[in-house]
Amino acid sequence: MLVLTRKLGESIAIDDNIKIVVVQIKGKQVRLGIKAPKETKIHREEVYQAIQDQNTEAVQASMSDIARLGEELKKK
Amino acid sequence: MKIKTTRFGELEVNPSDIVTFNEGLLGFENIKKYFVVDPGDSTLILWLQSTEDEKVAFPIIEPKIFKPDYIAKLLPADLNGLELESIQSAKLYCILTIPANVTEMSANLKAPVVINSAKKVGKQIVLQDSKLTVKHEMYRELKTYIVNFSSDDARRTTFESSITIESGDLRNTNSPSITRTLEA
Repeated sequence: MLVLTRKLGESIAIDDNIKIVVVQIKGKQVRLGIKAPKETKIHREEVYQAIQDQNTEAVQASMSDIARLGEELKKK
Repeated sequence: MKIKTTRFGELEVNPSDIVTFNEGLLGFENIKKYFVVDPGDSTLILWLQSTEDEKVAFPIIEPKIFKPDYIAKLLPADLNGLELESIQSAKLYCILTIPANVTEMSANLKAPVVINSAKKVGKQIVLQDSKLTVKHEMYRELKTYIVNFSSDDARRTTFESSITIESGDLRNTNSPSITRTLEA
């Protein structure tokens, strides 16, 4: 992994069209501005992790739970 | 062709109904081929069943059933690989998590599954909207819908598309840069 040191207001260019700027540094928090083409997908890493975890949980649904859900949903 | 599944036994599937997820689903990147199973039960839940692993099946549902105002705003990059020529052939589903306490069921609104029903390709898309959650509890809304429509045989209606494309143009890949801020 390439590691670079940047000061407040400085930036990093990736390819010709992506720019990452250090917008604010406050204690342990860093605020980053990202300038990128509209088609570039940018997400916090933990978003992907959360979706992966959710998919893993979803695939465990059993037919008996679904049957019970069907019964519950029908109750007036 | 016959396909074995742990939940539904052996199913006869038309090869033209098999949908390819070239990138897989998050956490299931190695599984690319799925088909949609409609068990026809009262829950309105469908299943995205893998043809490659009989145990892998995701319960899915059309989000408009429990959340009529749900809109998935897709970026041009989201459409890569979906080969969409018209938004009409795109079907959108949310993956459900159904725990033992079924009233705590939830839908993943953040990362819906989009299937191009004409070209039979699909993709799980992570939406940019930070207000959407991966665990949206929706038991009550689903129940309201089912109780209200239980006498109506035609309740499996087609909903208006819940998809919008940000640029409004499927072919536009040279869209202007935008600036986004990510709080780390």
